[in-house]
Amino acid sequence: MRNLLRTPFVAIFQNEVLLNTKRVAPYALMILFTANAVLWWSRPAVQFGWATNSDWYIVRNLLAFSFLLGLPIFNAVIMGDPVIRDARTGIDPLIFSKPVTRAQYLFGKFFGNFFVLVCCQAVFPLTQVVLQAFPTSRMIVLPIRVFPYFKHFFFFLVITHLVLAAFYFTVGTLTRNSKIVYGLAAGFYPLYISYGLLLIRPLPFRWRLILDPMLLGASLRGNGFLHTAEFLNQYVVPYTADMIANRVAMILLATLCLAILYVRFTITEQSGNVAKLSTLNLSTAAESVYYPETSPATRLDESKKRHYTAGAFLPAMPNRALPEVARANEGIRANVNKLIAALGVEFRLLRAERSLIVITPLAIFLPTLELAFYRVVPEVSYSATYATGTAKTLLFFLIGMTVFYLVESMQRDREVRIESVLWAKPTPNFVLLLSKLLATFLLMLSVMAITGLTAIAIQLLRGHAPVELYPYLVTCSVIVIPSIVFMAGVSILLNVVLREKYLVYVVIVGVGAAVFYLYSQGFNHWLYNPMLYQLWNYPDLTSAGSKQSIILVHRIYCLAASVACLALAHILFQRKSTRGVRMDGHLTDRGWSILLALVSLTTAIGTGWIISSMH
Amino acid sequence: MLKIRELTKTYGSSIQALKGISFDVPPGVFGLLGPNGAGKTTLMKILATLLEPDAGTVEINGFDLISRKDKARRLLGYLPQDFGLYPTLTAEQMLNYFAKLKGVTDKRQRQDLIDALFERVNLSAARKQRLGGFSGGMRQRLGIAQALIGQPQLIIVDEPTAGLDPEERIRFHNLLAETAGEDAVVILSTHIVADVSSLCSQMAVIRQGAILASTTPQQAIYQLKESVWEATVPREQVAALKSRYQVISSQMLGGQARVKVISKGVRPSEEFKPATPVLEDYYFDLVNQRETAN
Repeated sequence: MRNLLRTPFVAIFQNEVLLNTKRVAPYALMILFTANAVLWWSRPAVQFGWATNSDWYIVRNLLAFSFLLGLPIFNAVIMGDPVIRDARTGIDPLIFSKPVTRAQYLFGKFFGNFFVLVCCQAVFPLTQVVLQAFPTSRMIVLPIRVFPYFKHFFFFLVITHLVLAAFYFTVGTLTRNSKIVYGLAAGFYPLYISYGLLLIRPLPFRWRLILDPMLLGASLRGNGFLHTAEFLNQYVVPYTADMIANRVAMILLATLCLAILYVRFTITEQSGNVAKLSTLNLSTAAESVYYPETSPATRLDESKKRHYTAGAFLPAMPNRALPEVARANEGIRANVNKLIAALGVEFRLLRAERSLIVITPLAIFLPTLELAFYRVVPEVSYSATYATGTAKTLLFFLIGMTVFYLVESMQRDREVRIESVLWAKPTPNFVLLLSKLLATFLLMLSVMAITGLTAIAIQLLRGHAPVELYPYLVTCSVIVIPSIVFMAGVSILLNVVLREKYLVYVVIVGVGAAVFYLYSQGFNHWLYNPMLYQLWNYPDLTSAGSKQSIILVHRIYCLAASVACLALAHILFQRKSTRGVRMDGHLTDRGWSILLALVSLTTAIGTGWIISSMH
Repeated sequence: MLKIRELTKTYGSSIQALKGISFDVPPGVFGLLGPNGAGKTTLMKILATLLEPDAGTVEINGFDLISRKDKARRLLGYLPQDFGLYPTLTAEQMLNYFAKLKGVTDKRQRQDLIDALFERVNLSAARKQRLGGFSGGMRQRLGIAQALIGQPQLIIVDEPTAGLDPEERIRFHNLLAETAGEDAVVILSTHIVADVSSLCSQMAVIRQGAILASTTPQQAIYQLKESVWEATVPREQVAALKSRYQVISSQMLGGQARVKVISKGVRPSEEFKPATPVLEDYYFDLVNQRETAN
């Protein structure tokens, strides 16, 4: 009888699990989910007298966990890439030449990665199971229970994410393009919210429940706030027929996705994707290329060797002498010339980014949407209101774009394997780093300028004249630009230190989510709010407001921190340059970086102290 | 002249890629020969200022390349074993960029240089083409073109002919030979013995992070004069021959084995005939000797 554990399906499944154990992402997700479990354990249960391990509270936490904190996006990170990874590493021909069926390959990959995803997610209920043994003061804890955590975890979370996983896996495998998967993942929240508001909201509750893939309606109405603590602590969440119908529908949907994938999947190379691959493999052919062993060149007789030239085998080659050229590699002017050259190339590469076609119109359109369609109430003036509204929304887009394009450009040289060629050129490290920073920064300025012009055009079209440029300029220069510079500095430092693209994204998204959670809970101190989120209004930027001084000091604080990040990135950059801080009586690049880091850190600490005392 | 002294590099705590190697590299094409994993690429990366050694010095033009990387990069032309280019740029844009990074600021000079380089590597017709559409050979030729920018005094080419077809390979050899005629030190790292044999005036054999020999191809072959014998024997006899003689290679030909043995001035047996030694024989003999000694 055939041993099921020795089938290719199991081998591929095991291999996927093994590959994931060597990736950073699953561990980073586990840490993030554990932190979430701890964070959500007591809040808001203690405040409202809810038992932290009641059936209802377990479901409430699991539903929130399933939807919030980018879990659907993390799903895409794990599930979108497995088949693309095989194509990228070039291992797919080796696998497809083995007696492996399409089904074994696809389902081995899918279930292997989904198993890893579920293990990562299971850290959340597992942590909360453990936390039952460590109640804090004033916390109500019912007798310790384990089964409800995993029963609800499977019902509410695993089945939901099975659909998303099947969808991302199908899209990633059929398109062999991870950017499309991540684009869809990034669009999850707007799409889901639109689906909820426009399509299923008008339906009766029963249909809303059946058609909601996240099953968010399974929680009690009012999210518990309409009931007493005693009721909630005793309440057992039932699996109603509608909920079961929803889950069955989700499983069928996942099966449909995988069935479409199975039918459409082909193991032959997709010709359209060849040119899109950015990796150019130059030396992978067989090592033993033909060489005439009997060639005179390989023989002892040197008189014959002299006659061995290509001319004997090939038409004569052109032999133009290389002209002598003057080179300038020292001094500020030479380095500025190199920086301009590198900047030019960065712009050309940015222009070739297809994502810009999607992201830039979104960044311009969304911040001005509210201005175009809703009633605008002028506070100081119409221009001030338009400028403030645009700046507040645009800032989020610009921060996201800054992080994305900087991380991509920082990693691009390694991904296309041009790094070794570039790094062997006599170019200072700061040119390599600053060119990427400046290219991204100038792109953001362009987006900002176009968005500002769009806002002005809307202001004129709606008859909200006169247009004043000052509010636009002051919001951009005081709020938007320093915030972008700060994010750029942090992104470059993280890239240099972590060197792994996805790790950088996970850290930035994780820290960003945590910080915004803290802001929403009221922990919104100026010192850890570099974007001044919820801390300013237009009058604060003028002498009419009470916060003008602290805002200006805060901006210096942010810029100093950005410069410190850049200087540290330069010091820690993997490409090593001249040793020591002094050479031939002058400071080396490293010496200048250390000096700059010290000055900027001192400035940041000084301004931070001033902010604390002013706050 | 490039002087390498006591160069050591260990990866992690156990993999010693270079074990304190020392040798001199005179102007001309210098072949660094060794099997895969011998430490060639590690050495090339150190010379290209991309990797920090644990210890040792590399002196060029009177200064230490390890501690003065910025200065060394001005003299350097590097063609890595495995490299890529921006696929969305054209060949001309790419070469123009590299020239600017090398400090060629004068626009007319840069244009003349790029024209000459394209002609030299036979890519003039493809200069406006995007690099994403280049074949392996074309990319390799562009690779050598970028390494020749700015009169480099030290040119490092790491496994340059792997993946090239025979025609491209000969073109590449000619390019390197012409470059070496311009007083530069050209270090050619390869595991293909024939490349060294046809191109290099000096060579070193590296294995397991140590230099086994540093000589000229002519001297190396001369050492085996009247010592190499070959015979065509049934396949089953190869094992017996290996136990009796110093077999340096055996190759299957039409169901039979062509065996080469080393025997200094003495014919091993009737079936053996004298063979003209080639560099490959020297390489195999050297490696066999070292394995026997170990």
